[in-house]
Amino acid sequence: MATRPTVTIASHDGTPSGSTHPLPTVFKAPIRPDIVQTVHAGMAKNKRQPYAVSEKAGHQTSAESWGTGRAVARIPRVSGGGTHRAGQAAFGNMCRSGRMFAPTKVWRKWHQKINLGQKRFATTSALAASSVPSLLLARGHQISTVPEVPLVIASKAFEGAAIAKTSAALKLLTAVGAGPDVSKVRASRKLRAGKGKLRGRRHRQRRGPLIVYHPEEDGKELVHAFRNIPGVETSSVFSLNLLQLAPGGHLGRFIVWTSSAFAALDEIYGSTTTPSALKKDFLLPSNVIHNADISRLINSSEVQAVVRPAKGEAKTKRAGVQKKNPLRNKQVLLRMNPYAKAFSEEKLGSKKLEDGKPERAAESFAKILHED
Amino acid sequence: MTEHLQSNVSQDLVWEICRSNNAFLVKRKSGGGSHFSRDPLNLMNKHSRKYAGFVNNKAVGIHAAEKGGVSLTTKKTKHLNRPAANKNEVSWSGQKSGPKIYRGIVNYTAKQGYRADLRQEAVARASAIRQSQKPKKEDPESKLRGSKAKKAEEKAT
Repeated sequence: MATRPTVTIASHDGTPSGSTHPLPTVFKAPIRPDIVQTVHAGMAKNKRQPYAVSEKAGHQTSAESWGTGRAVARIPRVSGGGTHRAGQAAFGNMCRSGRMFAPTKVWRKWHQKINLGQKRFATTSALAASSVPSLLLARGHQISTVPEVPLVIASKAFEGAAIAKTSAALKLLTAVGAGPDVSKVRASRKLRAGKGKLRGRRHRQRRGPLIVYHPEEDGKELVHAFRNIPGVETSSVFSLNLLQLAPGGHLGRFIVWTSSAFAALDEIYGSTTTPSALKKDFLLPSNVIHNADISRLINSSEVQAVVRPAKGEAKTKRAGVQKKNPLRNKQVLLRMNPYAKAFSEEKLGSKKLEDGKPERAAESFAKILHED
Repeated sequence: MTEHLQSNVSQDLVWEICRSNNAFLVKRKSGGGSHFSRDPLNLMNKHSRKYAGFVNNKAVGIHAAEKGGVSLTTKKTKHLNRPAANKNEVSWSGQKSGPKIYRGIVNYTAKQGYRADLRQEAVARASAIRQSQKPKKEDPESKLRGSKAKKAEEKAT
């Protein structure tokens, strides 16, 4: 591509501010859902709290096996008498009030180590996907009123703690066309099914836009302003998190950038040739093919000029057609037996033999034949 | 100008990413595990590459408009990354005759370089919408027959 595409910067009321910014190189990173999914699966595991059943559960009895010869199974049995419990089987996972099979332990491997290179790859991939409107739609974001993707708002709108109140934040989001996405989240809030309700996960709701800001230039007041809007999250551009960039491992989070955060992306991620200024030993991953539009490549005049013409005649394979009976369908019959035409035209089927019927052999012939 | 902002994205890539799961997809176990789509730009409501409106740069959608009309939405290919401005909408009132509407739909889509193999689907969808908007004729009251008819006659006299 000859010119680097630019992105319009929207002002606080959603209209174009007049200034533009070239698209940071990170948006050209390869989009790899496989990497994003595996990294996300690992990262999502790293915030878990250990849980386990009690070490003693099912073992708080002095049961012993009765051994053989008592015509009962050799499983440990509760000793003593005077209660129904005495003589009942204990300990086993198949027993009532026995221990579970393979009791869970707190020292289960809860955390996953994820290679830093993979994490960075996944982050850049998720960022690149966040600039594709189709992927945003596929994630379920309501972006029909958004003027441009990626959506960049001039940092001027945040200057001097201008957005410190939720009302101001909500007004800004509506002005830049993110209103429908926010109201979708609000409407989606539902009570969670199951025990999660009691465990601090009372409601479930969709995710709305992610606001990415530059903490030094935009200030941190906006975090307070946005935090009470359901589904809206904020993140510093220096600490982007894959769990927010690709929730559930699904690419295409709707991101609202402040212009200073957007401008910082090139410095943070560098490019495929210039290393990142902030990440040690990091070059942006490069694409295996420069142009992902394969059908365009194939149909380009350069390729079409050198390919040889297709051999043979055009042939379409007809799948799922009804089988025709060649004895009833003339065309099908002709396809199988081209001679059928001449045969029927000349009425060969009903033609008399040329010399008439063969003459019957003389009577003497039969006589001689049967002679003993 | 059917280009994405970046060269690392194509319609085929988007489809490969989204075909197993997306916000519009409706998967059901009934009907032999049918897969449908809730995409407004999907003419057949079918989950397939051809009809996936959110994937295709040149997508067509047809919807019921007010008062028995039909409206046509087409995706513009010029500014793919401007969702607010990349749709065209045309609507026909319910007073227009069917063939005029269908001709209009064809003129706006298949003849303008939108997929020609969506022509029939677009017209069929518009036709189905019009059919659904017509007031339903009520069934005529059923005539009594046999002994019931005799009894009713006796009563009347």
